[in-house]
Amino acid sequence: MSTFTLSKLASASRLALSAGLAAVLTTAAGAATVDAEKAAGANPNELRICASNVEAPFSNKESTGFEDRIAVVLAQTMGRKPVFVRNDKPGIYLVRDQLDKNTCDVVMGVDAGDARVLTSKPYYRTGYVLVTKADRNITTSDWQDQQIKDQTRFAVRFYSPAETMLKRIGRFEDNAAYMYSLVNFVSRRNQWTQVPGDRLATEVATGEADVAIAFAPEVARYVKASTTPLRMTVISTGIDRPNDKPIPMHYDQSIGVRKNDPALLAEIDAALEKAKPQIEQILITEGIPLLDPNT
Amino acid sequence: MSRLHSSVSALTVAVAMAATVSLAALAPAVANDKLVELSKSTDNWPMTGKNYNANNYSEANQVTKENVKQLKAAWSFSTGVLSGHEGTPLVVNGVMYIHAPFPNTTFAVSLDEPGKILWQHKPKQNPTARAVACCDVVNRGLAYWPGNANVGPLIIKTQLDGNVVALKADTGEEYWKLENSDIKVGSTLTIAPYVVKDTVLIGSSGAELGVRGYVTAYDIATGAQKWRAYATGPDGDVRLADDFNSANPHYGQKGLGQATWEGEAWKIGGGTNWGWYAYDPDSNLFYYGSGNPAPWNETMRPGDNKWTMTIWGRDAETGMAKFGYQKTPHDEWDYAGVNVMMLSEQQDKSGKMRKLLTHPDRNGIVYTLDRTNGDLISADKIDDTVNWVKQVDLKTGLPQRDPEYATRMDHVGRDICPSAMGYHNQGHDSYDPERKSFFMGINHICMDWEPFMLPYRAGQFFVGATLNMYPGPKGDRQKYEGLGQVKAYDAINNKYKWEVMERFAAWGGTLATAGGVVFYGTLDGFIKARDSDTGELLWKFKLPSGVIGHPMTYTHNGTQYVAIYYGVGGWPGVGLVFDLNDPTAGLGSVGAFKQLQHYTQMGGGVMVFSLDGKGPYDDPKVGEYSTEIIRASN
Repeated sequence: MSTFTLSKLASASRLALSAGLAAVLTTAAGAATVDAEKAAGANPNELRICASNVEAPFSNKESTGFEDRIAVVLAQTMGRKPVFVRNDKPGIYLVRDQLDKNTCDVVMGVDAGDARVLTSKPYYRTGYVLVTKADRNITTSDWQDQQIKDQTRFAVRFYSPAETMLKRIGRFEDNAAYMYSLVNFVSRRNQWTQVPGDRLATEVATGEADVAIAFAPEVARYVKASTTPLRMTVISTGIDRPNDKPIPMHYDQSIGVRKNDPALLAEIDAALEKAKPQIEQILITEGIPLLDPNT
Repeated sequence: MSRLHSSVSALTVAVAMAATVSLAALAPAVANDKLVELSKSTDNWPMTGKNYNANNYSEANQVTKENVKQLKAAWSFSTGVLSGHEGTPLVVNGVMYIHAPFPNTTFAVSLDEPGKILWQHKPKQNPTARAVACCDVVNRGLAYWPGNANVGPLIIKTQLDGNVVALKADTGEEYWKLENSDIKVGSTLTIAPYVVKDTVLIGSSGAELGVRGYVTAYDIATGAQKWRAYATGPDGDVRLADDFNSANPHYGQKGLGQATWEGEAWKIGGGTNWGWYAYDPDSNLFYYGSGNPAPWNETMRPGDNKWTMTIWGRDAETGMAKFGYQKTPHDEWDYAGVNVMMLSEQQDKSGKMRKLLTHPDRNGIVYTLDRTNGDLISADKIDDTVNWVKQVDLKTGLPQRDPEYATRMDHVGRDICPSAMGYHNQGHDSYDPERKSFFMGINHICMDWEPFMLPYRAGQFFVGATLNMYPGPKGDRQKYEGLGQVKAYDAINNKYKWEVMERFAAWGGTLATAGGVVFYGTLDGFIKARDSDTGELLWKFKLPSGVIGHPMTYTHNGTQYVAIYYGVGGWPGVGLVFDLNDPTAGLGSVGAFKQLQHYTQMGGGVMVFSLDGKGPYDDPKVGEYSTEIIRASN
């Protein structure tokens, strides 16, 4: 499959060269997409957005993810043309394999204060959520509540605080085989494997899982779109740790740029301020519960 | 995706029903020693390791050091499957039983006329099984049960989808089928079943998916489960006898299957067993190794993680463990300890006759234990380049680690030997009782281990490592050759009588013969014969594809034959099987074996050799449709 993608891209770039054009394919939305391998240098008229093809609902190949749409708004506010620099690796690799290699200039949706990058002022704040079937009347916002402890099947995002929660309430080991089934038993042995957000919502809607635990943006649009009414409750309580700060449940989301790029950061911060209403509209449409700063 | 999930459940239901229907109620089985008798004859190879000693040694001596160069192909058979072929065929009473990787086809052919298939069993399996298996879709072989007063001989096989099937040896008809491992929880089967009297032992796979490893015993005549012993958890589940490790209390005794894990992590702690067994009829103990702990990332499972990585001696009737010796407490390298157990009786250094068990482990140490009580007699480095451990303390049984070659998260490990593939993997080696030599096929592969931590949004992060594998210090690190060794080992005097480097690896193991010749196959597709005493290369033949199984020998109508599977694959062949190019793919295997593609490609079948190619078709009329020739009259 990777061979197919490579040869397709290679022929696409040959076509572009023979036509005497830059190696970019313009989309209907006025944005452009370029493969990470073929990315040109920075151009002050463009905003090069590091993006993954496999990060729905944040980002996808067609650039219709909600972060894709926010990036377009941002670029336009900055007076730049949005150019998505894409690859097929999960989003977790964007900083290491794209931003740090200068193939693109901004990464959407990093935690405010991520030490690898300079981060913009937060453009939204949200948290981890408990997703249940509405008619189950599981209304608690505390993951340690007996209502949650009494459930048996849990669908969660891997590598997230949700795994720690399950260990704390003694539900991790008994759910391990079920959780592997959600990724078709692809081994986690030294590889990033993740349960797609839509799968989490479907599992709850079909009754396969009693509870799904995820970061709200990962599941918001699927919860909203579900024909079976689902309840999404923002978790209120962090995870205590002996001799350490609790693991928080609420996070500020920012845009990351390279550490040597403060000028771009300043430009982004200014544009975020201007584009705030449009960005908020995208987030609300997505169904993401928005939290006030410092809550 | 949800559709796939429900189709898996449907399959399980169907399988369970089939098992119920076909389990006939039968008279109680009586213990029999027919397998012991069968294995004594050079005509038979009735179990994967030839006999209960699992020594891959045949007393056949028609092929000698002097004449082995006259070996020529006698006949061959294609299994029609292009994946790694591990293990070896069985031969019983003039019939060869041939197995294949997924889809796990089984064939029976007559040694008199191998050109005609007597029967074949081609199971329908859920294709999901292919995705669940971690490293190619291998299978390590079949087991033969001679039958009892009520039930005729059976061939027992495992399927990748977790089912065990008993076939009537004369017709291939399914006699019973049962689900041993639930593919719905990521558990598969690649191990060869092992028959002890009227019981069949079945292991488990899937530790990388957190499967809690177990070995299960079934009554062969009925398929009824007799007992199941886990590698981790409460003592009752692990089946520890009251006097467990009483001879070596420092190995640890009660309660450790839980106490050496954090919380309830033992429930998903791995320790599956997918390697080989051996059995001692005198003590009724059987021996095997449990594999690596789970999850793969060691920081997530503090503790010794008992009883993963353990050499077990268990009672075959009850499953109760008499001893267990953990070789690699808290594994950090994936040194899954499922390797072959070879039984011998030798005088120790003080001249005392001992019943021994010798086990070349993936961690680069070859262990010899007193198999009656687990006493550790020797623990030698398989090669002096092993560096994660300085030595094994024979008094405590503990490895003295070198922190430089650990895989901690705060440390880049360079040139860790052996690599995660181990200096010895699943190969089934041999022991020559006359020469008191173990012939070992060895990997000579080391690795760099660069840990990384990638943050993700909302406090999520991924801890992993980049693995690069390459030839050990004695190989050619420019050309990526010199990835294997073959050695003759003396376990009593802790010496290697001879050793030789191989371009790739002798992954599948060795065969020893009374003719003074040792045979093995190589990943690049040669079967080779060496002088058992000197190591001198006497003969070789280029097979259609690389070898990851072990050779066997049998005599038929007075002629000695040597047979071997070809079909490259398994972990060293994942690059070829799945067409991978990233050198770190397959946990580094693709990089280590990047030259292999210039020497061999996929294949799958058996080749059989004899002196001068003497064989079933010496009379060309054998098997002909017609011998009448119609000539033109002109």
